[in-house]
Amino acid sequence: MDFNLQADSREISVFRKEVQEWLQENMRGAEELRWSATWSTRENEEEYGFRRKLARKLGGRGWLFPMFPVEYGGGGLAIDHQLVLESELDRYGISLAAVFYTLARIVAPVILKWGTEEQKRNFLPPMLRGEVSVWQVLTEPQGGSDIATCRTKAIRDGDHYVVNGQKVMVGYHHPPDFLWTLVCTDPSGPRHENLGWLYIPGNSDGITIQPMRLMMGIKNAVFFDNVRVPAFNLVGGENNGWSVANTHLELEHGGEGRVGADPLVERVVEYCRETRVAATPLLEDTSVRDMIADMMIELHVVHLFARRNFWHRYVREPHPYGGAQFRYYQRMVRLRNGERLQQIMGYHALVPDLTVNEVVDFEYVVRSGPGMLHGGGTLDTDRLVFARRVGLGRPTKEKAPETI
Amino acid sequence: MDLRLTKTQNMFKRAAADFLKAEAPSHTITEWFGSKAAFLPDLYRKAAALGWLGMVIPERYGGASTSFTDCAVVFEELGHGPLPGPLFSSGVLGALLVLEGASEEQKKTLLPAVCSGKSIVIAAVADGGVDWGPESVETRLTRTTDHLVLDGTKRFVYDAEAATAFICAARTESGEIALVLVNRESPGVSIMPKAGFMVSVAEVRFDKVRVPVSSLLGGAGAGWQILDRALEKALPILCAYQVGACQEIFDFTAEYTRTRVVFGQPIGRFQRVQDHCVEISIHLDAARWVTYETLWKLDSGVPATAGVHEAKAVASEAYYQVCNFSHMVHAGPGTDYGHPLMAHSVMAHTLYQYLGTPLQHKRRMMDALYPRAGSRE
Ligand SMILES: Cc1cc2nc3c(=O)[nH]c(=O)nc-3n(C[C@H](O)[C@H](O)[C@H](O)COP(=O)(O)OP(=O)(O)OC[C@H]3O[C@@H](n4cnc5c(N)ncnc54)[C@H](O)[C@@H]3O)c2cc1C
Repeated sequence: MDFNLQADSREISVFRKEVQEWLQENMRGAEELRWSATWSTRENEEEYGFRRKLARKLGGRGWLFPMFPVEYGGGGLAIDHQLVLESELDRYGISLAAVFYTLARIVAPVILKWGTEEQKRNFLPPMLRGEVSVWQVLTEPQGGSDIATCRTKAIRDGDHYVVNGQKVMVGYHHPPDFLWTLVCTDPSGPRHENLGWLYIPGNSDGITIQPMRLMMGIKNAVFFDNVRVPAFNLVGGENNGWSVANTHLELEHGGEGRVGADPLVERVVEYCRETRVAATPLLEDTSVRDMIADMMIELHVVHLFARRNFWHRYVREPHPYGGAQFRYYQRMVRLRNGERLQQIMGYHALVPDLTVNEVVDFEYVVRSGPGMLHGGGTLDTDRLVFARRVGLGRPTKEKAPETI
Repeated sequence: MDLRLTKTQNMFKRAAADFLKAEAPSHTITEWFGSKAAFLPDLYRKAAALGWLGMVIPERYGGASTSFTDCAVVFEELGHGPLPGPLFSSGVLGALLVLEGASEEQKKTLLPAVCSGKSIVIAAVADGGVDWGPESVETRLTRTTDHLVLDGTKRFVYDAEAATAFICAARTESGEIALVLVNRESPGVSIMPKAGFMVSVAEVRFDKVRVPVSSLLGGAGAGWQILDRALEKALPILCAYQVGACQEIFDFTAEYTRTRVVFGQPIGRFQRVQDHCVEISIHLDAARWVTYETLWKLDSGVPATAGVHEAKAVASEAYYQVCNFSHMVHAGPGTDYGHPLMAHSVMAHTLYQYLGTPLQHKRRMMDALYPRAGSRE
């Protein structure tokens, strides 16, 4: 085994140098910015502008999706290149998956797997080049976790589908260029055999977007009122939506993995070194040390799970239960860390600090404990998936769907 | 043994529940939290008219001379809201501080005003936001020939915006802790609301504020003892408020498991959802019984110090955990600021900090039971 992310071959060390120089040049102006988290309401136009531009620049070189084929706008590179890009961006507090507010990181692999050649040539390049933003639009008010009961209908009418229905808790607070939407293509068809996925232009007539104020920031309700979508935009075929959904969900459920570590502990240690109570730094306090130790160990395990999942994905050997296990554990750790922060820094853990990146802002961490337990599926459905994959109480183990 | 409420207590409970239903139904409270309007003077006056301020204060000072348990029963009901506003912070803690620390003359002028709601007296204790205890008092109190000067910043004061006066803990030149009554309108006092995942918290600055010598409560040096005595009686009532909040969350969460249908069945049929509800009930009942046992101790003269710290630790932890488990049951819709759970979440995070975190109270519980060698207290 080799855990070293920096044991570069000659070729890779040349590439790393290139990336470092490029970032030095192109991250200029970012020093003053503090990255906001996904779904945040704190991000401003300046930050948004910078991030969208950065996405275009990275995308233009194929670096936003380094391992995707060149003909679709990817970099045609190997996993080692991707690791270089991830680790170098990590120094700037940013990851490839979250350069700007879009879920292309999930949608692109799904389209790559399920799209026709023509669809890939049409839809992928703008996405991989970082030019368009995509929302994932699955959840409905009645269905909740049970996305297969999808009531948003897409009925074929000549060269188009006509879409009617409502989705909730989707997107960001900037309008989408595309909505990657789960629809019901056959209202009278049997469960799991009546679904489809439409890649819907955000500016189509009949779409109304209504912001929802959630604990983590802005999400939206989306209403479709006789929205006409070209039949060409149905990906994966009519009534095959459930298979497509499996690829999508596996990626969303933690299966994509990650190489960067959560920088929270470093910031906590720094804070506790600088903050004194009765003339003694918090870092000297025994129970503070105990809590930081727990935080550190748990986040380390989260990080190792994420790296394991990343590796499994890129060697194309899907880990049987890694996605669900990782996501469940990560969320429970975040919940516990929120309480630890409250115990360590008292009221200060409840006050936003705009001078740091939001993901290490204590108030954000505290709030995201309960606030991010459910995005993309609940703790309970994660454990359900885990049980099926391990084959608890059943003779056969459900297989992890293949992702890209 | 008799674990029932008395007839009078049941009457109090009903009155408070009716009040909440009429004046502050859940959706109204959600709106208040949304607009951060946590202090509503009208509502406060109405609550005062019902006699809920200074309930435990002797009648001769304008109170109702009730038992602690009587008072707690009312606050448990108010916690269902959670009804915001300084009913506890002034009507219980502020009043008890005056009762425990003030001279007879001060009591005669101050307490009737606090009990009628005319004055809102808020304790400003710790300077920073991390620590809770005598060391956390840093604001300085200096004496000139004819008056006192108060200088310092209390960074997190709950219900500060509603105050007409503060009882400010400060350090004298000789390093002792004194409590000083400061009028909100005194030159040099400024109040700045705090933004964040909390409610009703503000920073209060005392910028070289001149106060008459007569505004000292008790002698210089008696400050922390007065605070301890007042807190010992006040905290269990705050705990009862948190018990009520937990009960409310348990009730609406259990109801949601009956009405929310996913995968063709009410979610309450899923064992995982049941498990979350079991956790909620354990936290709720732990908080309830630790709180009421402590109240009983206070009412019957049984030593209660360790129990009070235990109750604050258990009840604040419970409220926080009950919210988290309820979030697990409600999932997405429960994180919408329009949902009643969000007002509770914000309140639970605030009360987790208010007057000391669970960890700090656990330490004080241990110190009360097993004093450390060489401990100062
Ligand atoms: C921050 C955030 C971001 C989100 N982003 C998106 C997005 O970009 N796009 C999108 O489409 N959606 C998004 N969502 C919605 C999210 O996917 C849903 O919240 C989630 O799927 C759960 O649905 P629900 O909230 O309706 O909960 P429900 O399904 O109503 O669940 C209620 C309770 O029942 C339990 N439960 C349900 N089914 C089972 C079962 N089979 N076994 C055991 N327990 C069960 C749940 O665990 C939960 O405790 C987001 C949500 C949040 C909070």
